[in-house]
Order: sequence, then C-alpha cells, then structure tokens
Amino acid sequence: MAAVASRTAGLLRLRAAGAERRWCGPRCAGLVQGFLPPGGEGAAQKRRVAHFTFQPDPESLQYGQTQKMNLFQSITSALDNSLAKDPTAVIFGEDVAFGGVFRCTVGLRDKYGKDRVFNTPLCEQGIVGFGIGIAVTGATAIAEIQFADYIFPAFDQIVNEAAKYRYRSGDLFNCGSLTIRAPWGCVGHGALYHSQSPEAFFAHCPGIKVVIPRSPFQAKGLLLSCIEDKNPCIFFEPKILYRAAVEQVPVEPYKIPLSQAEVIQEGSDVTLVAWGTQVHVIREVASMAREKLGVSCEIIDLRTIVPWDVDTVCKSVVKTGRLLISHEAPLTGGFASEISSTVQEECFLNLEAPISRVCGYDTPFPHIFEPFYIPDKWKCYDALRKMINY
Amino acid sequence: MRKMLASLVSHVFSGVNQKPAMRGLLASLNFSNDTTCDITKCDLYRLEEGPPTSTVLTREEALKYYRAMQVIRRMELKADQMYKQKFIRGFCHLCDGQEACSVGLEAGIRPSDHIITSYRAHGLCYTRGLPVRSILAELTGRRGGCAKGKGGSMHMYAKNFYGGNGIVGAQVPLGAGVAFACTYLGNTEICLTVYGDGAANQGQVAEAYNLSALWKLPCSLSSERIATTQWARLSREQQPNTDYHKRGNFIPGRKANGMDILCVREATKFAAHYCRSGKGPILLELQTYRYHGHSKSDPGISYRTREEVQSMRSKSDPIMLLQERRRNSNRSNVEEWKEIDADGKKEIEEAAQFATTDPEPALEELANYSCTTKKK
Repeated sequence: MAAVASRTAGLLRLRAAGAERRWCGPRCAGLVQGFLPPGGEGAAQKRRVAHFTFQPDPESLQYGQTQKMNLFQSITSALDNSLAKDPTAVIFGEDVAFGGVFRCTVGLRDKYGKDRVFNTPLCEQGIVGFGIGIAVTGATAIAEIQFADYIFPAFDQIVNEAAKYRYRSGDLFNCGSLTIRAPWGCVGHGALYHSQSPEAFFAHCPGIKVVIPRSPFQAKGLLLSCIEDKNPCIFFEPKILYRAAVEQVPVEPYKIPLSQAEVIQEGSDVTLVAWGTQVHVIREVASMAREKLGVSCEIIDLRTIVPWDVDTVCKSVVKTGRLLISHEAPLTGGFASEISSTVQEECFLNLEAPISRVCGYDTPFPHIFEPFYIPDKWKCYDALRKMINY
Repeated sequence: MRKMLASLVSHVFSGVNQKPAMRGLLASLNFSNDTTCDITKCDLYRLEEGPPTSTVLTREEALKYYRAMQVIRRMELKADQMYKQKFIRGFCHLCDGQEACSVGLEAGIRPSDHIITSYRAHGLCYTRGLPVRSILAELTGRRGGCAKGKGGSMHMYAKNFYGGNGIVGAQVPLGAGVAFACTYLGNTEICLTVYGDGAANQGQVAEAYNLSALWKLPCSLSSERIATTQWARLSREQQPNTDYHKRGNFIPGRKANGMDILCVREATKFAAHYCRSGKGPILLELQTYRYHGHSKSDPGISYRTREEVQSMRSKSDPIMLLQERRRNSNRSNVEEWKEIDADGKKEIEEAAQFATTDPEPALEELANYSCTTKKK
C-alpha cells in the first residue's frame, strides 16, 4: 500500500512538473548543462533538471598528468593519441572534418591532414562497409555514425560482414582494427530518432564487442582499448554526458580493459547493474536506499556489454542475493534480460528475490513523454524497495 | 482602353494612402487580370521536351500562393522564436527560404495525389491541409497536434501525406511503394517523393530508383537541392556528380529553379503528367535555399557566410519574386498584400497561443498505438 502511494506520489510529482513544463525548485540540485545549447557554443544556458547528476570519479594519478575534460574532449584526446601513435589510423564519418556535430573530432583534421580525417557522404551502410574494407587490409579504421539511431542501415554490414569475417575465413582475414563510434542514449529532448540505445541488437551477434563508458576518464581508456582490440568494436557514447560530464582525464594514452565490469561501490544487500548514463542514476538510488532504508548497495558498471563480465556480476549476487539491472532501452529483449537469465542460472540458490529489471517501456522512444519513459531514480528506488521487502 | 485607364488610376494613387472606397474601385478596375510570366527553362536529362517556359498566373493564384508562402514563412519564424523560448524542444528543422518548393509542388498536383518527404516538412504539412495550430501544437507536443503530440517536428501526417520522416532517405523507398499502390489500385494518382541532397547518397535511394523504373511506378522523385548537407557544404567531397536530376541514370529528369514558385509549379505539373501517362518515374531537382541552419543546433554560418545568406534573401527570396512578377506587370495591389500579411500574422499568433496553452497528451498515450489489436 505504501509502495503504491509512494509510486503514485512519484508519478504525480512528475506529472505536476511536466504540466508546468518546468523542472526547477527542489530538484535544482541536479541542474546540468545540456549538449549544444541553442545559444551556440559557450552560451551559459542552463537546461532543465536532467534525470541524473553526473558524479565524477576521484582523479586517477597512475597515468601521469591530468587535465579537466568533458566527455567529448576526452574522446578527442583518445582519437588524437590514436592518430599520433598509429600511422594507419583514419577517422571518417558525416561531418567529422569540421569537428563533428558533437565536437568529438575538433582540430584533428588540421593536425593530421585531410587524408586521415575526412567526411563521407550520408550513407551509413557505405561508411561501415568501407570501414570493414580498410580494416581488412590491416589499417585502423575509426568510423563515426552520427547518431546510434542511424546505425540500422549499417546493421547488415556489422552483423553479416564485420562480425563474421574472421570466423568464415578461418582466421585468414579479419576486420579487427575497425571501431565504430556513435552517440547513444536519451538526451532530454531527442525523441524517436536521437535517443535510442541499440546495444541489445548487437549483443545478439557473436563476433563484435559493444562498449559503453559512463564518464570522460572511462571513455578515453575504453575507446583506446577498442581501437587497439583485435576485434571489431562498437563504442556507444552517452550524448547527454558530452558536456555534462567533466572530470580530470590523463593527457597521455592509457587503456581500460574490455569485458571487465567495475564495482564502483561495494555493498552487501543489493547489487545494482547499469551502464552509461544510467550508472549515475543508480548511484543516486544507492544513496537514497542507504538513507531511507538502511540498505547497502553494490554498484556495478558493466562497461562492456558483450562479451560481458559474468564473473563480477555473479560474484556480487552470490554476496548480496538481490539484483537490479537498469537501462533506457525497452524492457523486452533488452540486455537486462540476458544478464537476468544468466544470473538465475548461475546463482539460483543465492537469490533472495526475483531479479528486477527497470527499463524503458516497450514503445518507441517518445517525444513529449520522455520524462515518464526513462527509468529514473524513483522507478529504480521503487523496484529496489519491492526486492528488499520480498 | 481598360488597361490605359487602369494604369492611369494606378499611377495617380500609387504612394498615396488610399481610402477604403477607392480601394474597392481599384480592385475591380485593375487587379482582376491574369499575368503571363516567363519562367526559366529547365535543364533536361533524357527528355525530348520539358515544362513550358511561360505560364499564366491568375490573380487568385497569385494571392493564394502569396498567402501560403507568407504563412509558411511566418510559421517557421514563429517556430524559431518558440524554440528559443523553450516551448519547442528537441530537433526542429525549418524550411524558411524554401516556401516556393512546398507551395509550388502542391500547386502542380491534385489533392488526391500523395506526398512523402523528409524531416524538413512543415511547409508541406501546411500545403497538404494541416492547420497551423495543429503543426505548432505538434511541435510543442500537445494533444491538439496533428500526431497527438507524439511525433514532434519530424513526424507530421495528413491525408495523402505520409510525413515527415526522421531517417535520411528512408522515405524514398516508401514513396516508391505508395506509387506502386496507386498503379495497383488502378487510380491515376501519383506519389511525389521529396528528399534533400544529402539523401541522394543513401543506398536505399538508388534501390528506389531501380524499383520505380523496373515497374514503371508513377513516382515523381523530387530532390530539394539546398547545396548543403547538414553541416557541410556540398562539394566534390560528398559526391562526384552533383546533378541530382541525372542521378537516376536510366530515369529522365529535369532541374528547375526552386526559388521561383511558377517554375516549381510547371515542372511539377509536367512531372505529374508524365507519371500519370504510365511512362514511369521521373526526377525533379529543385535548386532552393534554406535561410536557417540544418536544425536549431546549427547556426548555419560555419559552412557559408552571412553575406551569402543575405544575398539570397535580397535577390532570390521566393515571396519577393512572386510579388515582383505582379508588380512588373502592374498587377499588384499593396493593400491586398498587406491584408494577407495581417491575416496571416493573426493566424500564426492564434496558433502559437493554442500551441502553448493546449494540454499535453494524457499519460496513457505513452503506450498507445505501438501495436493494435484491431481486426481488419
């Protein structure tokens, strides 16, 4: 009953906020800057409260001197390091020459030349197919798809060509030096075609790796690992974090291993798993759980979606007995279902409650309904409470 | 005699504030005549003959086109303003500067014909019959919007108008399919499939050309060439062949001045007639220009100069070109234009008011229309 009341209160609060079309007031603490503010670069316009607050990690001193960077700057830094180190590396995609629509390739064409950083026509299937061809000869191809929502014309190339090249040629050929980068996830106003999280489509395809960072520091290290990995990789960049996430990031290159999830907070009662932007949502949920329920949460950032780190997640669930997985993508067939299925196979007798998935609804990503669609902290908190009280 | 009298009266009263009674007199004397206009010859590809090089513009047509273009212009500028005020959020692609394309395309076909286009669709939405208030309410995501507030800028639909499509080039095979349905159902309707120059490089567009030609579909493929693709200047970097009307290879095509509404109208009428006669698809390239950037996050001056935009506004503005035609043949009535302007302004203001006060769709709408359980 209390749960219902709380849920209703949460929904009413959201509805009231939506009706006023303002998200300020008590939630102003979460004000973050949106990407590409309408006033142009440098305009200090504050967007409305987002559904999360970016939490930077403590500065890492093990890789040398660091610099304050936001997500797109850390991507530029990784690409800069790659082009400097690897003379065969090329970057291509729509509008990358002038710096990219999200500023990820700013300055690279001037620095490395127009034969290494160049625009392609508007043809995603062609971009990826062309990238596979470059990679097959051994050169390093870094392809940009302008929004993850546009990756679908290239789906055949990725699934049928890139993922199967090594296998079908008996390791005679491969396109391991291909990395595809794409902005990913909700952004507050992206609607149907600028907000999608398609990682689950690619998780179903053996032969490729899918990686999603939660922060600038993670992004640079993971992207460099993807570029140097000997398998074709898809690197999804949470576009809402491009400007909102700011951290100290090492200037020199460094790598963060793929297929290794990170336990970013240890706990004993519930395991929370997410990736990308959603990691920051569940961090807040963990704080709420500690304050209001006295519950200790273990937070895991999956980082690599496929092949994913089964051991880290299962080890955690063996300890806590409860698992909540959250992602923006729709519930049915979302990657949470894969994690849930594997964990119940491996840790069945350790589970104290059914595994909970807090995800987007099974609808296209909506236009006006985005605040109601996304799995925000209230929905996650509600699901967590149900698990605790099971 | 009538002409002499008319021009005398016009001369006497020009520049003087006219009293209402006089206005009535002027209207009946001067301005009921048609204008014969010369239009630029189209570049032709695989066609023996093209659209005519002169056409008649009646007074009614002139006023109708003027009104439509003015409303579209004001609507886009209002959308720009509302975006800056954060009533409209997300992605908003404006078509001010391209009014002659939407109004001209519509003028060249019948209401029973079909149109499908890209995300830069607000102009065609209006010409296809959507009231301004339903367009602006869709932009602000309200229940009075033409897609119940669920689609936004890029997804607006009306009878015989299939959107409004977000993915570049994806609408072109759909247009071929609609054209196929026209043939299959045995009506004489055609499908106008509109896309931008960026889309011309999508593989599926080549596939649609092939399908249309193979099955002789009544598909008029209209490329709105604005010489910029999203953010980058159109150049050899994007494609070796920038003659879009020739890109269909085996499909005939013609290139027209997309800033001149009469040029667009005649080229479209020609295309429609060609398709209706069962000869198959035809390409139409319209050279046009958008004043705003690609979307609201593009200032539009990183790949072109402000001076270039200004120059287009002052020399090739479609509304101005239409007015000039009437003026040059002494057929224009400043008062009539002003009345239309005032009327249009009122319509936009009322629509904007509606768009900002109409309630948002009910929460239940979130899940509505994903699938249906209706039986056929």
